[in-house]
This record gives sequence, C-alpha cells and structure tokens, in this order.
Amino acid sequence: MKAILLGCALCLTTAQAADREFNDVVRVISDEFHTRPIHIPFFGLVNAFTAAVRPAGAKHIDVAVFESLGPSSRDLPQAIRSAVGSRWSPLVHVQSYRKGHEETVFVYMRQQGQDWKLLVAAIERDQATVVQLMLNPSTLARWLSAPDESARRWNRDWDD
Amino acid sequence: MKFTVIAFVALLPLAAQEIKFPPGLDRLAEKAVEVVDVTMDASLLQLAGRFLSDKDPDEGKVKRLVTGLKGVYVKSYEFEKRGEYQQSDVDQIRSQLRAPGWSRVVGVRSRKDGDNAEVFLKSEAGQITGLAIIVADPMELTIVNIVGSIRPDEIRDLGGHFGIPKIDVEIRKGAKEKEDE
Repeated sequence: MKAILLGCALCLTTAQAADREFNDVVRVISDEFHTRPIHIPFFGLVNAFTAAVRPAGAKHIDVAVFESLGPSSRDLPQAIRSAVGSRWSPLVHVQSYRKGHEETVFVYMRQQGQDWKLLVAAIERDQATVVQLMLNPSTLARWLSAPDESARRWNRDWDD
Repeated sequence: MKFTVIAFVALLPLAAQEIKFPPGLDRLAEKAVEVVDVTMDASLLQLAGRFLSDKDPDEGKVKRLVTGLKGVYVKSYEFEKRGEYQQSDVDQIRSQLRAPGWSRVVGVRSRKDGDNAEVFLKSEAGQITGLAIIVADPMELTIVNIVGSIRPDEIRDLGGHFGIPKIDVEIRKGAKEKEDE
C-alpha cells in the first residue's frame, strides 16, 4: 500500500512541475549572486510525503535554497517583481535593511482550480529560498488573515 | 503605530474608491529600513472571509467585516532616523483626499512627539464610499486604504488583520482636530 501511495505521489510530483515564474525567480537569484541552488537529497520524497500527508495544508512544494550568499544589490526586489510578472497577484512584500536582520520577502498568489498557489521568495544576508506551494483554501485563509506576519513567520520558521 | 482618536459616525454602508499610491512612495523604500506592502483585492478578501471561523469571536467579527470589503492596501515605511521623508511625500496622498467627496474626520497631532494620524472618509450621495488612514510619525509612515463596505467604528476590529496595523479608532461625525502638547 505504501509503495502504491508513494508511486502515486511521485507521479503527482512529476505532473505538477514548478511554474515558469518559480524558475525565473530562481534564475534571477542565481544571476544576482553568481551561484546555483544547493542540491536537496531525496527531495522527491518530501513531495511524496507532502502529497500524502499534506502538512499545513500544502499539497505540493517546490523549493530552491541558496546558501553562502554575499550582499545583494538594491535592484534585486525589482528584478524579482519583473520575473514573477502578471500571472501572479502580489500579496505582500516585506523589506528590511536593519543591520543583522536584512531580509526581503515576496509573496505572490495564483488560483488553480479549487486550490491556490503561493510563490514565496525570501532573501536574507547569507541565504535565500524560493518556494512554490499549492495550498488548500483554509490554509490560505490563515495566510491572508495576516499576510505580513505570515511572511515574516515563514522566513523565521524556514530558518529554524 | 498605535493611536487613539475619538469619533462616532452614523453607520453607513461603504462602496469605496481606491486611492493611488504615488510613485514617489517607492523612492521612500530606498531610504527606509523596513518596508511592508500589502495588496489584497476583493477576491482574496472574500476567500479569506469564507474560511474564518464564526466560533472564534475575533475571527467572527473580521469575517463579517470582510464580506463588504473590496480591497485593502497598506504601505508602511520605517526609517532609522528622523527627516528621511518629507511632508511633500505625504501631500501627494493628501491631495487626493482633498478631492470632492473626501473629508478628514480625524486628525491627531502631537507637537511633542511629532506623531500625526489622520482618518479620511469618502462619501457619495449620502453614503460613505471610502476610507483612508495616514499615520505619519517622525520615523514611520503608514498609509492604509480600505475599499468597500465597512462601518468606520469597525476599523479597530480590522487592526492586526490583512496587514492593517493595530489601531484604536472611534470616529465621531464632525470630530475636530485634536492636538497634544
């Protein structure tokens, strides 16, 4: 049974490739810092788990993680905005230049059938993550209720 | 961010019009140490409202409020020191709020702290059709535009939701400007 479930989940993972905009944002960050996302071993299993268990309402997840980054230019937020384009609706943008707590978080949304996709780009002093999630509506509603706090919490939780 | 103003307005349904954030505000982002920009249109607000719980008193209140909203737009800038933004930056917003239909119902100004909070309502044909809040502290500027049906005395309930700062607002019709020493 587990094998069937895993197989189905992996098929689902394959069928739901990351959107073009996810790849474009990853490329913008790669170009900015002249680096590539780190390899996450067994990430396919993460999606298998996500599809089966749906932690925090997520059905599917795509992640790119960058580490050991240098300082970014102030043009980066605009480059990310351009990469995301108009298919996604901007929900929240948090930008902090506080010394020691520099962060940029963009959250975009897009509806797909009954579900909603969330595209999050979070850049800190030395690392960046780009995540595309497919969320069920009730989880999304919690995001919407406090979008700025959710974006900050997301970044903190991801660090932990 | 927290401010208190006193006012009471007749409970009127709202159908509002969005104010335009001038491009000059984007330049403030370059000077600010922290920027928060929240954009929530009608479809997102209705979606959020649909899944908020009636059982939780706070969520229940927000859920009822959201049904009449068409948009919530928040821009907030925090600066490291005083004088990083000019009144002229805010005047581009204020000039829109001087257009026919808009009226300033609340103004709180502290000479001591330099805090300045204003609430504007837009009304058409006897009905309030828009709401804007400007909080201009020496080191922080927050502009909130709420579009849609909301009773002004309910603004406080929206504080802390949808990126709207926590505010303590009661609005009295025809309230005069209040000045703290």
